[in-house]
Amino acid sequence: MFTQFKEWYEKRHDYAMEWKEKTGGKIIGYFCTYVPEEILYAADVLPVRVLGGHEPQDVTEPHIFGMYCPFSRDVLAQGLKNKFFYLDGITIAQSCLHIRQAYTSWDLHRPTEFSYYLPMPHNVQSDHSRTFLRSELQQFQEAVEKWTGKKITDVDLDRGIDIVNTNRRLLKQIFELRRQENPPLTGQEAMYLVLSSQMTDKREHNKALLELLEQLPQRKLNRPTGERLMILGSENDDIPFTEMVEQVCEATFVIDDHCTGTRYFWNESVKDEDRLLEIANRYVDRVPCPTKDWPQRKRLEHIQNLIKDYDVQGVIVIQQKFCDPHELDIPAIQKSLKERGIPTLFLEFDVTAPLGPFRIRVEAFLEMMRQEDLF
Amino acid sequence: MSENETKEYWRWKEYNWKNPDIPDWRGSMVTAGVDVGSTSSQAVIMVDGQLYAFSNMRTGSDSPSSAIDAINWAMEGTGLALEDISFTVGTGYGRVNVPFANKAVTEIACHARGANFMYGPTVRTLLDMGGQDCKAIHCDERGKVTSFLMNDKCAAGTGRGMEVFANLLAVPIEEVGDMSLSVEEEPAPVSSTCVVFAKTEATGLLRAGWSKEKVLAAYCSAMASRVVSLLERNGMEKDFAITGGIAKNSGVVKRIERILGIEALKPNYDTQIAGALGGALFAKALAEKSNKGKIAGR
Repeated sequence: MFTQFKEWYEKRHDYAMEWKEKTGGKIIGYFCTYVPEEILYAADVLPVRVLGGHEPQDVTEPHIFGMYCPFSRDVLAQGLKNKFFYLDGITIAQSCLHIRQAYTSWDLHRPTEFSYYLPMPHNVQSDHSRTFLRSELQQFQEAVEKWTGKKITDVDLDRGIDIVNTNRRLLKQIFELRRQENPPLTGQEAMYLVLSSQMTDKREHNKALLELLEQLPQRKLNRPTGERLMILGSENDDIPFTEMVEQVCEATFVIDDHCTGTRYFWNESVKDEDRLLEIANRYVDRVPCPTKDWPQRKRLEHIQNLIKDYDVQGVIVIQQKFCDPHELDIPAIQKSLKERGIPTLFLEFDVTAPLGPFRIRVEAFLEMMRQEDLF
Repeated sequence: MSENETKEYWRWKEYNWKNPDIPDWRGSMVTAGVDVGSTSSQAVIMVDGQLYAFSNMRTGSDSPSSAIDAINWAMEGTGLALEDISFTVGTGYGRVNVPFANKAVTEIACHARGANFMYGPTVRTLLDMGGQDCKAIHCDERGKVTSFLMNDKCAAGTGRGMEVFANLLAVPIEEVGDMSLSVEEEPAPVSSTCVVFAKTEATGLLRAGWSKEKVLAAYCSAMASRVVSLLERNGMEKDFAITGGIAKNSGVVKRIERILGIEALKPNYDTQIAGALGGALFAKALAEKSNKGKIAGR
């Protein structure tokens, strides 16, 4: 049932090249989920997310600070090693400096025909953020038009918005099935769904999600659900770790808060005559990344709601080593979870996950919840 | 080659022990815990929840044979055979590689349970200083873990680090602690607890004319402040106890107590067996629950 999604994720480059051959269209690599994919779909450009390769590498050392997060360095390595050679353009929306450095260095060393830095506002809670972002989106749209040589009309924007919103809606409908006592999909399978949606043409992805949504409600997993866990942090496409927790330690991830997970698709845009304002509102109002979550911390409340809705028993908080924005958020998150009696486990991630040391921590964490049997 | 170069100063005492107060295990429930750690392995055998016998030895190159050697040594002279043990819990780094174990439990849970037996129900904060890692554990009055933190990223503050130092300074490992306490004035800690860098730093200090005692004091002190930061991150609550090999090192223990301003409870047992002991206690509970609680020798 999930083979297609897994294959899309694992063979992302093959997919992109085939797409290009089939459609003759342009592909743009994006570095952060604050990039408005609606406008790119409106321009018939395929946005694909640049994620790391989870392999040790030795090419980024002169180009990015060693104490920038391993994810950013891994992303840059993908560029320097030409793994994304088929990209016609690259773009980033402002989130953190580490990933921006990866983007800037990529742009310098592997220039593409189009490169765009979108100054997504940090203070999304400001009264001016919507108009500010709307103007920036206008400029972004004009730059894309200039690049593709094609004007983007309101009809195009409506199409782009619809493609992206449909994808968000379908993913959310599938995720909501995970509220059940025995979810019909594992956390690992859910991961493949979201990750593949960032790497494929959403029109095709939407079709596959629709088919999946028809079959899933009848699906029974031949495994005990075990403890219902939530995982949260920045990006996470660490499949081996998820696999270990679910298959070896026999717990199940029922929900997440990652930009490779729910944060990416949780909110749809709300219809507005002014299409660019509609898009701007969506990115201002979406579940925030820690770089945008101040002075008021909306993410804490959001996480608590997910815990309640998905009947979460324990939370694994993961952090990319050296990730400053999340380092700022994690103490507040752990405090708020502790106050509500939710057990948490903190793990620091690198390019590859040390599965042995992580396993003992996860097992001991689960034993904390299970150990009644031992007494 | 001189004698000094061949002598293994790091070598700690490997031994087995049998409780003289328990004359026979027949007619009782026998359970075991086997802790295959990165550096040392222990097997503990309990008879009706009483400590009956144990062994403490160095871990060999593969976990399954270390586990077998440890249990055989613990059973030595008892007349016990593996089939007389109704339930065995494997724990430690090699917990899934104990061939005769009925269940694997992490050493975090086992140490908390073992410490509860060794030090009594008042223990709330536990520091396990193992061969290659270090854990700060919080537990309740039953020895049930409520939170933990673990450092296994480097050998700083671990038994292996201490072994390297014993060898470097040619001081038998059992004497390191007391010797480090014999300094008149406490020197500043070595600035790095990384074993490799600390070794370089210590060599430099020796060359600069520092006595062995002073260098050991500087190293024990660095190790103590390192583990105290782990303890404080997890939160300190009395009573406080230490398990693992380093708990036998007075130089580290005293300095931890000094920094924290809290005295650690004094052990009545070998602190290295805490994990295996916890395992054997869990084995008893599990045996009773799974109806595997057969009576040995019948």
